[in-house]
Formats: sequence, C-alpha cells, structure tokens
Amino acid sequence: MSGDLLRWRNQLLAVVRKEIRQTLQDRRVLFLLVVAPFLQLLVFGFAIDLGVDAVPTVVVDQDRSPEGRALVAGLLADGTLVEVGEAASVAEAEAALARGEAAAAVFLPSGLARDLDRGDPATVQVVLDGSDPTRSGVAGGAAVRFFGARGLALARDRLEARLGAGRGLPSVEVRPRLLYNPTLSSPVYMVPGIAGMLLLIVTTVVTSMGLARERELGTLEAVRVTPIPTPLLMLGKVLPFVAVGLFDVTLAITAGAWIFEVPLRGSLWLFYGLTLLYLLTTVGMGLLISTIAQNQQQAFLGGLMFLLPAMLLSGTLTPIHAMPSWLQPVTLLNPLRYYMEGIRAVLLKGATTGDVAHAALGLAVLGSAILGTAVRRFRKRVA
Amino acid sequence: MSPAIVVDGLSRRFGRFTAVDDVSFEVGRGEVFGYLGANGAGKSTTIRMLCGLLAPTAGDAVVAGARVSTQPEEVRARIGYMSQRFSLYPELRVAENLEFFGGAHGMGGRSLARRLEAVLERVGLAGLGRERTQDLPGGMRQRVALAGAILHEPAVVFLDEPTAGVDPWVRRRFWGLIRELADGGTTIFVTTHYMDEAELCGRVGLMVAGRLPALDTPEGLKRTHAPGRVWSVRGGELPPEQARLRLAALPGVLDVQSMGAGLRVRVDRHATLGADDLAASLSGTVEVEEDAASMEDVFLAVVDAEAQRVGTAAAFGEA
Repeated sequence: MSGDLLRWRNQLLAVVRKEIRQTLQDRRVLFLLVVAPFLQLLVFGFAIDLGVDAVPTVVVDQDRSPEGRALVAGLLADGTLVEVGEAASVAEAEAALARGEAAAAVFLPSGLARDLDRGDPATVQVVLDGSDPTRSGVAGGAAVRFFGARGLALARDRLEARLGAGRGLPSVEVRPRLLYNPTLSSPVYMVPGIAGMLLLIVTTVVTSMGLARERELGTLEAVRVTPIPTPLLMLGKVLPFVAVGLFDVTLAITAGAWIFEVPLRGSLWLFYGLTLLYLLTTVGMGLLISTIAQNQQQAFLGGLMFLLPAMLLSGTLTPIHAMPSWLQPVTLLNPLRYYMEGIRAVLLKGATTGDVAHAALGLAVLGSAILGTAVRRFRKRVA
Repeated sequence: MSPAIVVDGLSRRFGRFTAVDDVSFEVGRGEVFGYLGANGAGKSTTIRMLCGLLAPTAGDAVVAGARVSTQPEEVRARIGYMSQRFSLYPELRVAENLEFFGGAHGMGGRSLARRLEAVLERVGLAGLGRERTQDLPGGMRQRVALAGAILHEPAVVFLDEPTAGVDPWVRRRFWGLIRELADGGTTIFVTTHYMDEAELCGRVGLMVAGRLPALDTPEGLKRTHAPGRVWSVRGGELPPEQARLRLAALPGVLDVQSMGAGLRVRVDRHATLGADDLAASLSGTVEVEEDAASMEDVFLAVVDAEAQRVGTAAAFGEA
C-alpha cells in the first residue's frame, strides 16, 4: 500500500512540477496569470463607476432675480449637478446638450420671483439628455427632489407666517439609511464581482488551453501511455492554477481594500473556502472545454463562450431579479452567481457559514458535476 | 520463458470499418520485431491496443505478462512508448522532460536522478541534460524521446515510426541503439515503412488492410513470399519506356520497375523465363543479371496477393 502511495506522490509531483516549469517558461501565460488580473482590477474598479455625480448643467436664467440665483445655488449644492455655463435661451441650452457640452439644462422663466412672491404657481423647467438613461434619471431625480422640498419649505414658511409660529404642521420625512455600503460606492460592490470574473478568465481559459496544447504537441498521447491514473493527471494539471487563482484573489481583495476601501467584514477562512469551491467549478469547466476542443484556438473560443454568459448572468453587472423571468432559472446553473452571492455576503455583510450555506452547496454540486463529466469525457475520448 | 508479447485474434472495428482484423502472433524476449505496412494498414491501431490505450473489440493480447483487455494500467507500467512525433515538451530542458516521464512512471528522488544520468549516457547525450529540448536538432530530440521511453526499464518498448523524417545517418545510429537495447534483453516492437529498416529486424510482420498475411525473418519472407526470380536488366538500344513495355508483355513477368539506369523485372516462380529470353526481347547488347529479392519485392508481392484474395482496391485499405 505504501508503495502505491509513494508512486502516486511521485506521479502527482511530476505533473505539478512540469506544469509549473512550463508556466514559468511562458512569459505570456505568466503575464496573463499574475499581472493582467491586477491591471484589470484597477481598470474595472475605476471605470465601472455606477454612481452618478457632476452632471454638467447649463443654466438659462431669464428672471435675473436674487431668488432665482438662490434656487440655482441650492440645486447645485450637493454636487450632483455642476454648472458648466449659462445660456441665453432654451434653444441655446438644447444646442449645448446636442453638442454634448452639457447633459442637463435648468430654465428659470422671467417672472419666477414675482410668482413666488405672490404665491402663484411657478414653473422651473429641467431639460435632460435622455441618451444616457442612468445619468438623466439621477439628474432629473435630484432636480425634482430639490424643487419639491423647496416648494414645501416655501409653503410651510407662508403658513407659519399666517398662523403664527409654533403651530404644528404635519409632515412626513423619508430618511434612507444604507447598510453595508453607505456611500453607495460602486467599487465596493464591483470589486468582488471583478475578482470572480478574473478567476474565471485565469483558471478556465489557461486550463483548457494547456490541455489543448498538449494534444497538439502529441505529448498527451505520450502521457496517456504512462501508468499515471487519469484523476491524478487532472489533479496535477489544475493544482498549480488553483494556487495561482488563490494568489490572484488575494491580490484582488488586498488591492480592493487599499485602493477602493472594500470592507473585509466576514471570516477570511469562509471567503477562501468559497473561493476554493468556486475554483473547482472553473478549472473543471476548463478541463471540460478541453475535452471538446481540438486545438488551442477552439479552446480559447470555448472559454469565451462560457465566460461571457457566465459574467452577464451572474448578477455582477445586472441584478438577477431584473432579468426576464424565463432567464432567471438559467442563472442557477452559473457557478459565478453562487460565488458572487457568497463572497459579497461574506465581505460586505460579514455573513456566517450558515448564511452562505446555499451558495456553498450550489458551488459544490456544480463543481462535482462539471469535474465528474470532464474526467469521464477525458477518459472516453482517449480510449 | 514466456514470450514478451502474445497476440491472439486481436481485432478492432470503428463503426463499420475494421482497422485490425483477427491478428495473431508472438514476440520473444529480446527480439526486434518489425511491423510493416502502408499508412492506414492498421499498424498504429495495433500498437495502441498493445499499449493499453485502445480496447480490442475482439481477441486479446498479453504484453509483458499483463492482459491488455483487463489490465491496461499494468501494461502501461511495464512498457515504454515512443511515437514518430517524439512527443516532448519543447520549452523544457532535456532533464526536465525525462524527470517528468520518469515521475509519471512513479519514479522519484535519487534513484530517478541516477537512472537519468545512466540513460542519457546510453543514448549518447551525456552532459546535455540542461539543454532546452527545442534547441536540439531532430536526431538528438529523437534520442531524448527514446531515453524517455526506456527510463523506467520497461520489458517491452514500442516504437511507432521512430525514424520518420530524420536523415539516413541519424537513422543508422538510432538502429544501433535499438540493437544494443535488444541485446540487453529488452523486447522491441517497431513499426516502419522504410524497407531497409525492416531488414534490420529479427522478424517482420507485414500488415495489409488490417490483416497480417506474412510474418517471418526477412530471409524467410524473401524465400516464401518473393516471386520466383528477380532480374536486373541493363543496356539495349530501345528507349526505357519501350523496353519496359516489351518486357512486361513477356509471359510470366509480374512487373517491371526502373532501377537507376536499368530495369528490375520480377518473374513468376512457375514461369520458365530465363536471362536469354529477357535479353532476346530487347535489341542491342543487353546485360541481364539475377538479383536478390528485396523486402520491397516481398512487400509488393504480399500486397498483390492480398489484393487478389480480397478483390483489388479494398486490399489497400485507406492508403
């Protein structure tokens, strides 16, 4: 028995050592494994900013009154809208929108101060560039909220002046309190997602291309003639990339914590446990693709064909509940979905093992199904 | 001592195509056994079954004491294999490649290191362990691949067209190594389509369309399978093409081939045609000499016979 163990140890070590040597030899793969993930994390982290602020705004002030000035100053106060210039007419403001110099225009008609003073209904017009729905929605919302609150304040002042101060006036105020990501910072939400996508790219693509290359070289056949058992061969081939994956994910959350202030609230053990389960599914997918692909190009394309849907259907970029109802069940087959749910809960909410048990279970079930199929197909294909 | 390889009614079908059809033979220990055949004749399929890579659809074989149908992993532990593609990792060093294949056979530690040195020495590559494999010329890579196949001291070594695409001098040197290995008691099973290499084998099996119609020593094959006689014809006044047609028209002539400046005439063993008859059919001074049958003559004769048996084109299989 100990003879068997020694032989298996030597066989496993031989494969692992060979994979590491090959990887160290290939600068391109090395770059893909170590440097590219870090760069992508930075680029994605800074570029995918889903928050909206500093919407460039032109002001058309035909009233020229101190009251009008005060309204505009109040509107711009929180920084959602930023004044980039004045225009003489609505037409001129719309031209600025068309040129892309501004995304919003605020129009104060003449007689605004007079109407306010008299208590007549006053109108302020806000023109928005609808080609970017998120931005125009945020800018419009900010304007509506501000003028609504200001109108209410004016009415309240008037009433108090008439009824005498101290008389209770009923009012309801909404005070949202945001948990876990109080500043609604995009990177805090995005970094875990990016980490999950990076692992997918690094492990799935590199694993599948590695095996496809062996098939092209003819070395796979030479390896198959040795008595090395298939599961040991597979294990040896994926272990180094699982290690690289763990290194990359450590890099990602460290950089995320430093640069983007992503909190690390939960247990790191739990985080790494989920990552390990997730890596089983991604390297398994790599192996599975390589049992179908004939060469490296096909393996790469196969990897992409898995990557893109996996990313889009993971809830990283679009919330799952916002997807069409027939598409939502499909996400149950996506390992990235479970990983995302799991690590967001652990990192941002400090979730416990019990909280993420369903995600872990989902990953374990998918992982064993994928790996099992890959090993079976690999054996059959060679035989 | 039991034979190193016993093949009994081995067959392999792929769908409706029969790649190997009821093949039986034995190979003794320390023998160099050549396996000849056109591309697609079933040589590689046979090797793949004997290496435990492909399950037979009928029949069985015992290689180095292990049964290929039921103990393929045991078979793989006891054999060495080298393919025509040399199958090495080009970006790794020579020693790194060998360490990998040794490790895949369960070797490790100091014993592997010692064995590695010994094997490199044996194939004439001592001191080259640190060379990057892709930087070596083809002949050296071929010897590295051979070193990888014999590292774990297998009882039987399978060489699948090991000399494809290397120059004649390198081929000769490689066959010297094969001879040495066999003298050391290793059984060699080698496929080739070079006829001169077949002459170097102890015994030769000839595969045609999945079957093994001929198996003997090269001399034995020439005796039994070569046609009656082979004549070398030189000189004469006729242009070569016309001379060729004349000779081919004589009764009993099987075929006529160009050979250097002359013609090579194969004559049926039952024909009474002699040197004078051949000379008389051509005008001018003609030189006719009896020639020894070559392996190529044997090969052509066997393929002809199979074609007649099965009915023309089918005998060539895919080739």
